[in-house]
Order: sequence, then structure tokens, then C-alpha cells
Amino acid sequence: MSRNAEAALLAGAAVLAALGVSIVRAAGGDTPDAQTALTFLVVGLAFGSLHLAFRQWAPNASSYLLPLAALITAVGLVEIFRLDPRAATLQRWWLLIAAGFGIATLAVLGRFGTDLLLRYRYLFLTAALVTFMLPLLPSNWALGGVEVNGSRLWLQLRLFDTTIVRFQPAEFGKLLLVVFLASYLASRQPALVSMTRKVGPIVIPEPRQLFPLVVAWAASFIVLVYQRDLGASLLLLAVFASMLYAASGRVAYPLVGGGMFLAGTLAAAQMFDHVQRRFDAWLRPWDDFADTGFQIGQSLFALGSGSLTGSGLGLGRPDVIPSATTDFVFAAVAEETGLAGSVAIVAAYALLVAVGFGIALQARDPYRKLLAAGLTTVIGIQTILIVGGVIRLLPLTGIALPFMSYGGSALVANVIAVVVLARISHEVST
Amino acid sequence: MSALVANLLKLAFVGLLYLFLWQMARSIGGHLVADTTSARRGKRRVGELIVVRSDTQAGSRIAVADSVVLGRSPEADALLDDPYASMFHLRLTMDGDTMSLADLGTTNGTYVNGRRVTSPVVLNAGDSVQVGKTIMEVK
Repeated sequence: MSRNAEAALLAGAAVLAALGVSIVRAAGGDTPDAQTALTFLVVGLAFGSLHLAFRQWAPNASSYLLPLAALITAVGLVEIFRLDPRAATLQRWWLLIAAGFGIATLAVLGRFGTDLLLRYRYLFLTAALVTFMLPLLPSNWALGGVEVNGSRLWLQLRLFDTTIVRFQPAEFGKLLLVVFLASYLASRQPALVSMTRKVGPIVIPEPRQLFPLVVAWAASFIVLVYQRDLGASLLLLAVFASMLYAASGRVAYPLVGGGMFLAGTLAAAQMFDHVQRRFDAWLRPWDDFADTGFQIGQSLFALGSGSLTGSGLGLGRPDVIPSATTDFVFAAVAEETGLAGSVAIVAAYALLVAVGFGIALQARDPYRKLLAAGLTTVIGIQTILIVGGVIRLLPLTGIALPFMSYGGSALVANVIAVVVLARISHEVST
Repeated sequence: MSALVANLLKLAFVGLLYLFLWQMARSIGGHLVADTTSARRGKRRVGELIVVRSDTQAGSRIAVADSVVLGRSPEADALLDDPYASMFHLRLTMDGDTMSLADLGTTNGTYVNGRRVTSPVVLNAGDSVQVGKTIMEVK
């Protein structure tokens, strides 16, 4: 697909967003107004400028990444607008900021190449660890952590007693961690592959090769306990185990990692109340529908009443689901566009992940392969975890649906991830 | 807004979603398939083993093109310097992209991933091949 076709599809995404916003307005009995034009302009401007940056700094990059991201973002903006027009205004600003960060990242990578990220490996590890710990800063500092809905994930910048900006540093921590892991594992690849120890009939890696996995497990457990965040904890370990798998081709790593996580989570469910309640809401939502089961219950009602083609944008009641714009945006979309619309969204994510792994397969060295695979895994696993949580396939984990949930930090981080993927795909042919 | 218009708009939105995905999927599908087949075709037809553990040969590489016999004998294609190895111990064969291993009826046997080889087996990248105290790994 050519860059021109990419531009055409991006314009298509902007039209889709504008159409969606107009339908929401029409459902409320209003005629299309400035919101339609603004949505069209912002989606067009953000992805149009990213497109131009691609032409400038990564002309041979895969042309599939941006249109898929744009499609998902467009549907997300429409649904956020439908639920909370004020949040949609903020999200539009965030989209422009994210495009700005994306272009800046691409400009830097275009100048120095992806090798730049390889050079400062331990700087990235340190930065990742610091960003994960930042929310633990005292709340009364100018730059301090805040606890929202029982999870301490937020960092806020306050000056003169007014909150300037709030963001989730962990969103960026994930990317930094992937960059570190890619360069670390690429240099360790031969050692990870050789499995010479035997326990009975099973061949296992040298115990010391499992050490990083144990560290990751411990880190994810600390996140689970202190930041009370099952989602981030699960994501951390999943990314770690799948990158070890990508580096070694050994199924033992994800199996052992999954087993350790399961054991840790079951133990945590016994020991900590907040984990136990998550499990209860997942397994028995109707037992305590008024309280812990309310959110997931409303989500299931939304999915059910959406039926095959949905209620139509602006005509359902997704607003009754608590935090419908963030964690439960998929349920809201599923109610108003039905099974047809939600399957389309899942297909868009599947295509995005397929394109990402395609880039990983073609990348020119192990480091770039692992980086591409890791970034794709982050996007893919987040999607699986939160969509699975919303449809009650998995326990609910408070994770943003990439590109779709309301939230600035996640949007910026995801755009950066896509830009790095694009740059890797560009470097295949140089 | 009448129910008819609402239904039409609803279907138009979902229809546009699918049109967009269809456009993407069509070209991505061709792209991904083309890439994997070219990768398969372009693969080297020469396999390689690395000696991971051995008293004298650790780190050395054994290239496998067509058919290679490993053993303790100087007549073998590649030398296996291990007291437990037979004179002609095993044969490695490349057929297209697949490497297979056959034990030549030896006393002490050949172990692939810890299992003794009784009939020819296909080797995959990362498999470990053990003869006596020598361990090799398939690249």
C-alpha cells in the first residue's frame, strides 16, 4: 500500500469520526454543529501531520500502522464525545499533543536511527523503574502521587494550589521497559536458548537464566501490592515472559512465567482484600450486584442490549456503566454499534498486532525484532486484558484500551509506540 | 429523528468501519503472505550446529550442507572428539530447509533434547544434540 493510499485512509478515518459525532448530535435531536468540524479537523490534523512526518523521516515505513491507529482513535473519540463531550474536548487536545510527541520521536529517530535506543540501555532501565515508582511520591508535593479509585497510579503537577496536569507515568514506563528488555535480551540471546539442564524428562534452562524472570515476577508482585494495580502487574509479567519467549523461542519461559503469576495472584487473592474483591466480581457478579458486581453487570447489560447491530450512536444507555469513557469504552461501543461494530474494532486491533509482528519478523537484527515484538505485545496484551475484562472473560483489570480509552498519557505512549514500530519497519530497507 | 433515519445512519457508520477494514485487510493480507513465503524461499539451505559443551571443541561450528557424518574417526566429515562417540556416530541431512538427524546404530547413542534417538528425527533451531559428554545446539 502506498503512502498516498495511507493518506486517503487517514482522511477516511477523519470522515468517520465526523460522521459519528454528527450521528450522536442527530440522536440528541440537534443538527451537526462545530463539534463535527472540530473532530474532523483534529483527527485530520493529528494523523495528517504524523503522515507527513512519516514521509520525511521514515518514507519506507509500513503504511498500515497509522490508518489502523486512526480508525480506532476515531471510533474512540466518537464514543467519548457521546458519553462526555467535555472529555472529548480534552481528548482532542491530547490527540494533538500525542501527534506532537510522535513527530518529535520520529524526528529524533530519523536523525540517529533506532540504534540510539540501544546505546543507553541502563538509562532506560533506571528511567523505567523511576517512572513506575513516581506515583509513590507524597501527595502534597508540587509533583506528587495521587490515589484514584483505590489505585495509586497517578502523578500530578500542582502549582499555586491548582492542578496543572495529571498523568499516569506507568504508561511511559512500559515503553521504557520494553526498550531496555529488547537490548538486554538481544545481547543474551544465545545463553537464553541453550537448555542443558534436565529435570526428569523435561529440559529446562540454566537456573540463572531464569533469574531475570524471577526479578520481573517480584517487581510485578510489588506493583500489585503497593500500587494495588492488578492490570499493570499482569501486563508487566506478560510483556516480560513473551519477550523472553520471542528472544529464545522456548515455550518454557511463558509457561513458567504464567505459572508463577497464577500462584502469586492466588496467594494475593487470599491475602489482600482488593484482589479478592476483583475475583468475586468476576466469578459472581450477580451475588453483590449493588456493589462490587455493579460495573461488570452494567457492562454485560450493555453488551446484551447492543445485540447484533447496536442501538445506534447516542441512542443506547452506555452512560450508566461506571467509568464508561476509560476502562469500559469497549462496552459502550459494543452497546451502540452492536456485535458488528465491536467485532470490527477487535479486527482492527488484530490487524494492528499482525502488522506489528510482521515488522518484528522482517526487522534486520535481533534487537529491532525484539523491540518491535515487545511494543506490539504491549498493545496486544492491553487490548486482550481490558476487552477480556469488559466481556467477563478475564478478571477486570483497570487498563486503558489502546487508542480508544479516554486518557492522555496512554494516547501519547501508544502513538510513540506506533512511531517506533514505523521507524523499525523503515530501517528494514536501509 | 425517525427510526428509519436512525437505523440507516447506524448501518452507515458500521458499514464505513467495515469498508475501511476491508481496504486495509486486503492489502495487508497479500503483504504478510508474500513476506513469509519470500522469507522461506530466501532461507539458507546450509544448517549449522554449535558445540556448546566439549572438552576440546567447545565453541566450534559444524556446517551442514546436504549430508554430513559426524564421528570419532578421521574419515568422518566432521570430527567428534569425545571418548563416548563411535567412529561414525550420526548423520545430519539437509532437505530443503529441514535438518534431520539419524543415529548410525551406536553403542552409546545420540540424545536430542534429552531423548535417545531410535529413528531419524527432524531438528529445529535451538534443539540440543548430545553425544557422550559433548553437547551441540542447532542454530
